[in-house]
Amino acid sequence: MNQPEGQMDDSPILSISGLTARVAGEPIDILKGVDLAVRPGETHAIMGPNGSGKSTLAKVLAGHPGYEVTGGSVAFRGQDLLEMEPDERAQTGVFMAFQYPVEIPGVSIANFLRTALQARLADGEELDLFDFQELLVERMELLDMDPAFAERHVNEGFSGGEKKRNEILQMAVLKPTLAVMDETDSGLDIDALKIVAHGVNTLKKEMPGMSVLLITHYQRILDHIAPDAVHVMVGGAIVQSGGPEVALELEAQGYEEYRAVTAG
Amino acid sequence: MANGGVATAEKVERRAVGPAAAAEAGAGDPSWLRARREEAWALYEAMPMPSTRSEEWRYTDVGRLLDFDGLAVAQAPGGGPGRRSGLASEEALASEEAPVSHVGAATGLPAELRDAMAQDREGAGRVVDVDGCVVLAELDGELARRGVVLASLRDAARQGLEGVESLLATEAVPASDGKFPALNAALWSDGVFLRVPRGVSLDLPVRLARWVSSAGTAAFTRILVVAEEGSRVSFVDEILSPDMDGTALAGTTVEIFARGGAQVQYVSLQRMGRGGAYLAQQRTLAERDATLDTLNVALGGSVGRVDLNARLLGSGANSDMLGLYFGDGDQHFDFNTSQDHVAPNAHSDLLYKGALDGDSRGVFRGIIRVHEGAQQTDAYQTNRNLLMSERAVATSLPNLEIEADDVRCSHGATVGQLDAEALFYLMSRGIGRRRAERLVVLGFLGEVLSRLPMGGVVEKVTKAIEAKLRHG
Repeated sequence: MNQPEGQMDDSPILSISGLTARVAGEPIDILKGVDLAVRPGETHAIMGPNGSGKSTLAKVLAGHPGYEVTGGSVAFRGQDLLEMEPDERAQTGVFMAFQYPVEIPGVSIANFLRTALQARLADGEELDLFDFQELLVERMELLDMDPAFAERHVNEGFSGGEKKRNEILQMAVLKPTLAVMDETDSGLDIDALKIVAHGVNTLKKEMPGMSVLLITHYQRILDHIAPDAVHVMVGGAIVQSGGPEVALELEAQGYEEYRAVTAG
Repeated sequence: MANGGVATAEKVERRAVGPAAAAEAGAGDPSWLRARREEAWALYEAMPMPSTRSEEWRYTDVGRLLDFDGLAVAQAPGGGPGRRSGLASEEALASEEAPVSHVGAATGLPAELRDAMAQDREGAGRVVDVDGCVVLAELDGELARRGVVLASLRDAARQGLEGVESLLATEAVPASDGKFPALNAALWSDGVFLRVPRGVSLDLPVRLARWVSSAGTAAFTRILVVAEEGSRVSFVDEILSPDMDGTALAGTTVEIFARGGAQVQYVSLQRMGRGGAYLAQQRTLAERDATLDTLNVALGGSVGRVDLNARLLGSGANSDMLGLYFGDGDQHFDFNTSQDHVAPNAHSDLLYKGALDGDSRGVFRGIIRVHEGAQQTDAYQTNRNLLMSERAVATSLPNLEIEADDVRCSHGATVGQLDAEALFYLMSRGIGRRRAERLVVLGFLGEVLSRLPMGGVVEKVTKAIEAKLRHG
């Protein structure tokens, strides 16, 4: 795997081991023992068919209350991620780009981001509004976005592409250490896909230490975001790991082969 | 000031809610007004207290929530004619040409009221009412020269100002309208008379700041606004009180006339303390091509009931009716609205939104009435509620009554909980749970404020909601 230049520390930033989880209140685990290690600056793709558990993994990492962890561990920057509330995880540097971003009626993107940055400050410390405005404008320029976009209410009446761009903008402002992209590419036409990929690549170039976990059903986004590693997830576990060639094999053969393996 | 006058903090006299108070209230009034009060008192006594057996009061047991026997009517010191003569302070008189932007001479007022007034931006005029008595009425000098009248209603009636006798408790809210309209018509101690002459535009709002000082007080106020043809005016009516261990009643009757092509905004900000009971009857009459918009904000008090009736009397008339309520603890808010489309080709659009926390309760009952012949009516009614606790209750009763066939009407009502997915989304960006909840609530209620872009009011209400969310 390629280590980005200047990256001295080779220990994983994210270590998942033996992770099992289910929908809260359900009797059966969806994740059946996931092991994964991601080092600083690496981009890992997790591919899998529908129902393989890849989106569940993303939600468990972000701390979605609808899921229950039944075993295993997740260490992020040496801390037990599973013990943290979703907001604490975000403040530690985890960012999840949602597959289905949620509408927050009446709340502008600018207000939302200002509140998120304010939340990182110590009690009694006030975010400087001029600094924030400057940062927001600079981030939007970086992503070729119209500044008026920030005045719109979060995801309210957005097209699929706009919702995904909003996720990328949030990522650009919050500058995470680990970005989990939960099927960010699904439902996007090729132009929107390119815009999202361009955003991710721009941020990766700016922040070489940022790790990316790219969760996807399709190979096509990997034409635009180059992964260091590709994992295939089937039946709640990672069944194969390798380099970019794994994605190409999948493209050619589909998931059928793996289904047969796990069924047998 | 054109109408200056500051009362010193003399002790307010009180009478129990009864015939003596009714007689006292009329002392010094012209005979037509005394006769009107007597008639109103007779009506009040003849009508039964509204009970929960009646549809309109089904969810607000006003007889139980309000102990009328324990209340005493606040009266102006001394009662009789010229009761405020000699009370005008030299300070107020000396500031004749000063802009109406500061609290100025009103330094004897309670700190809470002064704080609320200090938050306001510049205005065209200001009235201060303490326990139902006007202690200050001031208007921009230039506007006074252009014929705008802003006065204590009591003074306006006594001085026989044009429009008062013909429009007070006659066309808009007559005593015969019900028990509480009758009570107010009999006992009102003071209020505001605002008349804007034909074609005159007020660029800045006129503000009324009201204070109810203590438990046991019943303060009855009337507001009469007449906007002549093609004039434009905004009126902001804010009421406060301290937190109280007992009950204090603020009875409020609002009558607004928008003549042809006039543009009027009326905003009510109810921010009373614990123990406050707010009982308001509001009626707006919009004539041909007039715009008459209202916003009712209910944040404070223990019990609030607002009866709002918008009458669209002329073709091309338009009324936007906005409401916002945020309850916690055991607060109880009840809005009873009606949109009366009397004339054809008029438009009304109602949006009331409420957030309810703790054990609070919100009631919305609204009706669109399209009268016979009111073709090409456009009338909409929406009530949305957000429940922030499992114990809070929202009741929403939208209704239509249509007697014309070529109309566009719709109504809708929703009651929902805080969206768990929305909270998770906000938290996943590092925002704590409480702050995330606040953001969702502010966004939800903010839609109402965004529809009335009135500088100062939006900031003030937003701040008040934020303060309430912090302490919740």
